[in-house]
Amino acid sequence: MTHELLNGLSSAEAKQVLGLGTRLIVPAGTELFRLGDPADRLFLTERGRIRLTLPMQVRGREQDVFVEERSPGQTVGWSALIPPYRFTLTATAAVLEAEVIALPREGLREYFAANPAAGHKIALNLAIVIGHRLQLFQTMWVREMQRTVEVRSV
Amino acid sequence: MEMLLMGLCMSVFGLGIAALAFGAATRSQSSDSNSTVQPQLPLVKAVAPARFFSDRVAIPPVAPHQQVPIEVLLLQIENHVRMEQAAAEVFLAFPSQARLHSKTSSPFVN
Repeated sequence: MTHELLNGLSSAEAKQVLGLGTRLIVPAGTELFRLGDPADRLFLTERGRIRLTLPMQVRGREQDVFVEERSPGQTVGWSALIPPYRFTLTATAAVLEAEVIALPREGLREYFAANPAAGHKIALNLAIVIGHRLQLFQTMWVREMQRTVEVRSV
Repeated sequence: MEMLLMGLCMSVFGLGIAALAFGAATRSQSSDSNSTVQPQLPLVKAVAPARFFSDRVAIPPVAPHQQVPIEVLLLQIENHVRMEQAAAEVFLAFPSQARLHSKTSSPFVN
């Protein structure tokens, strides 16, 4: 399994980082974390899919609406490394059971302090993950805005 | 005597003029009263926007039994988000203005 967050690390470094974590089995339909929860752990998806949702009013009722899905190798919950350390989405195991590796923020910080070169690579990988999310949703936002403008211009 | 007759004639003439003036004044009042009705025309125009809005409101609401079940609606939203993400991914891989606003088959945009 290749994790996007560990790209560029030697196998020894990757093993050390993975050794900081705990494997978790998330039954299908079970929440890994909820919007607003304290984010003290980052998750690497090993197996299954994690659905990320946000609440939306649909027909007068609050519903968790699909935002994104993370597949094996991808990172979930990088809010654990970004202040104010609160999850901004709700994560749930999709149709099938999922398996993740939970990496504690404090353990990662200590590892980065002791291994700055590896920490630098992980920080760059995290920037790629966050940057891609930003570009993706920026594009989606502009597309929706374009449609809103078209509807209001008629 | 001549002066008296002349005065009488002048009085009769003046009375005639006064009668004509009164008649004319009365006609102008009636026409004025007609013209006061005309400003009501804009009132008819003012009703038009209300009718416009009422027409918009008059769109028959979808009966509850005709609405799609909420599970189906949520699935449609999910499909829309997936299609939008796919379109956004294509734009990010090959950025161009045409790809930025490319159309999808999502029912939410058609």
